[in-house]
Amino acid sequence: MSSPSPALQQQVTLVELVDRVLNKGVALTGDITLSVAGVDLVYVGLRVLLASVSTLEQLDAE
Amino acid sequence: MTAADALYVYGVVRSDTPADVFAGVEGMDDGPVRLVGADGVAAIASSVPLAEFDTDALELNLKDGAWLEQKVQAHNRVLAAAVRKATVLPLRFGAIYHGEDHVRTMLGERPELEAQLARLDGLLEFGVKGLLDPEALRTRLEESRGVEADEGSGRAYMLRKGLARELDEEVRAFAATCAEASHERLAAVAVDARVNRAQSPEMLLNGAYLVEAGCDDELRRAVEELDKQFRSDGVAYELTGPWPPYNFAGEESEG
Repeated sequence: MSSPSPALQQQVTLVELVDRVLNKGVALTGDITLSVAGVDLVYVGLRVLLASVSTLEQLDAE
Repeated sequence: MTAADALYVYGVVRSDTPADVFAGVEGMDDGPVRLVGADGVAAIASSVPLAEFDTDALELNLKDGAWLEQKVQAHNRVLAAAVRKATVLPLRFGAIYHGEDHVRTMLGERPELEAQLARLDGLLEFGVKGLLDPEALRTRLEESRGVEADEGSGRAYMLRKGLARELDEEVRAFAATCAEASHERLAAVAVDARVNRAQSPEMLLNGAYLVEAGCDDELRRAVEELDKQFRSDGVAYELTGPWPPYNFAGEESEG
């Protein structure tokens, strides 16, 4: 298969990183927490960040 | 740390972890990383300005892609510094506390953290993706059938249409079989394994594998074998890691 462009490759790596940091790991309740609304906001930020990654809609279904 | 600061917690380590594991690692906002210890476990933390992280500011900042990317990178950078040096239990993004006392209280109320850490001792997480090029597979399937009908005739058209449907079905069936075989092969060299949602239609496998630190070559070999086995079918594998064990930090059966 053809190699993805470096820019796309970088975005794919970023998706992998974002998915791990935001969706995995132990979820603890801090003093300041991301409310349920806050978590939705993360996806607003993500959409801006990854606007050209066509598969993003799969992330917010998690 | 001042009243204008909060403590961002990246993860948890055993309290006997040498502080120099995180020496020189820049946390969020380039702040130095320190360990906030309690009984048995310690939080990996750094000061962050409340101006950026209190509830109102956070809501605004989370909508800012560049801000979020910077913080996500910092979160991973800090935890990744411990890979192969100390066992870390990664926390999810956004655990923020008003000072060390609050962090110690939280650690004290969470005795299960120590057991979760122990479970990850000496283990590394790797990611393996399998990507299918469906066109390459279709071409190979068509060639192996050697079907050729006269161009233009109505019968040939119907044959081609039927064939196209059959090929679609074969591609789908192959993707499912290949994903299962790949995961099984990789999970065999792992202590624990997870299959995550595919990030694109071409992704037939998005797996995470927890392996013993001495066995990462075995996983690498397994990926190379799979690559050899399925390359002619249009499948390419991508190995990433070692990662902090994000996929194995939560409760069982998560992910």
